[in-house]
Amino acid sequence: MAEKHQVCFADELQPGSRKVVEIGGRSIGVFNVNNQFYAIRNSCPHRGAPLCRGVVTGLVTSPELYELEMERLGEIVRCPWHGWEFDLTTGRSVFNPHKMRVKSYDVSVEPEPMDLQGDFVLVDGEPDPFIETFDTTVEPSGEQGRKVVFVHV
Amino acid sequence: MSATATNNERQTEVGNDTRLHKAKRFPIVDTDVHHSFFDKSDLYPYLSDIYRDRWADYGTGVGTSTAHNGGFRGRRADTIDVEQEQPANIGTSAIDVQDTIDRLLDGAGVDVAILTGGPMGGASAMMDIDYASALCTAFNDYSIDTWVAADPRFRLTLAINHQDPEGAAREIDRLGQHPQVVGVMVSCGAPKPFGFRSYHPIYEACVRNGLAFAMHFGAEGSGINPPPTSAGYPSYYIESRQARPTFYMAHLASMIFEGVFEKFPTLKVGMIEGGFAWVPPMLWKMDLDWKGLRYQVPWVKRLPSEYVKEHVRFATQPMEEPDRPEALKHIIDWMSGEQTLMFATDYPHWDWDDPAMTLNGFPDDFRRRVFFDNAVDTFGLNKNGEMDRLLSEVAG
Repeated sequence: MAEKHQVCFADELQPGSRKVVEIGGRSIGVFNVNNQFYAIRNSCPHRGAPLCRGVVTGLVTSPELYELEMERLGEIVRCPWHGWEFDLTTGRSVFNPHKMRVKSYDVSVEPEPMDLQGDFVLVDGEPDPFIETFDTTVEPSGEQGRKVVFVHV
Repeated sequence: MSATATNNERQTEVGNDTRLHKAKRFPIVDTDVHHSFFDKSDLYPYLSDIYRDRWADYGTGVGTSTAHNGGFRGRRADTIDVEQEQPANIGTSAIDVQDTIDRLLDGAGVDVAILTGGPMGGASAMMDIDYASALCTAFNDYSIDTWVAADPRFRLTLAINHQDPEGAAREIDRLGQHPQVVGVMVSCGAPKPFGFRSYHPIYEACVRNGLAFAMHFGAEGSGINPPPTSAGYPSYYIESRQARPTFYMAHLASMIFEGVFEKFPTLKVGMIEGGFAWVPPMLWKMDLDWKGLRYQVPWVKRLPSEYVKEHVRFATQPMEEPDRPEALKHIIDWMSGEQTLMFATDYPHWDWDDPAMTLNGFPDDFRRRVFFDNAVDTFGLNKNGEMDRLLSEVAG
């Protein structure tokens, strides 16, 4: 079973901000994305970079040739090394979502422990970089009117 | 004299052992045959009075940046009698139609020869774009009347001036439906790489006429073009040859990341006389960089290597010869060579490849794709079923 770990008060983590915490030997980033909280492992599956230190941005798309459009602002983290983009809300890689899917977890079940390099899932024959994602909950605290963010690891 | 005796004499004279291609199991398409006029006056009938005088008095006015080459003035010395006085235009191009038929088509067993010549010096290196385009037009008319008309095995890539995209598009529309015109040819030397949007009228015209867009080393560092290496002007021809792939690389990256293949999903591109050992590392690099920088060019929807494998074909010559022969197999495998390579002799250059002596250690189905199928697809050679007929003739 996943264990519930208190991260901070919800009002300490405003939309667009993040907090990196150490839980059970794992570095985990908790992000407030438009008042939803998401937790991902602070390690890029590409080269092990501290992914949660990357720029949080949106998905740049091109509805027409040479048009740039920013969608889903705040939902994408761009790795500080080499620039791979991941969807904070799902852990999916942006550049090749068809071939590179996140290993999905039942939120109520503790994720299997995994090695950084040796545990990629093959989809259509391609290596599958994924970020380990964790369930988060926001619950009332003892303090009047304040809520606490928990991450389930 | 019997026909056999004639053939034997010719065989000796053209310097090819015709026995080597007698047993071939598929036709051979040669995607790079350099042709030109015998004498500059050959173009006079196709030029206006004004440009004819300029051509007669000044030529292109842009020489080449490297003042020397290999072989005999850049060509196979065995294609001429080196002890005789040579015609003025003896150089890197074939200038005698019948001699080319004898040596290359009959002699080396080439069944379809794609002509890739153009106005000497590179029209796209000239300051006056209208004059340059007029020279291309004249050269194309001359090529059709003199070369294409001489033998049904010749096909033509149209010489165009990429500095004048609108004029180039008009030229493509003027001749693009000729049954033996199969593509468009430009020199790699250019002020801007080929993905740049001002060139797009050329691609529109290629797609409109069902023609491949091919580029060939040439005109780098001459006329208005930037230097023949990105680090400036080298002293020697052998140096400039080492920088050749960088031109193809710059054009390829430009076409991919400017979204040319998103905009023109049926465009086929031929990269001619650039070799190919440089291709696999570039595919890896483009794919990796796209993962990190995709957001800057989001119209590039797929891995760059996927566009290359679908749209771009590389002529085999000048083929690298790794000191460990198995390395060549790896390189070919890494770039899906069975899909992306097309054979070329580069006739009559001194460093040409004889089809009978090229890629011999490879399986037959691979060889057939490289020597035949890939060029047929890229240049649309089978529009009227003529390649089907040729295949059944050769394969029996």
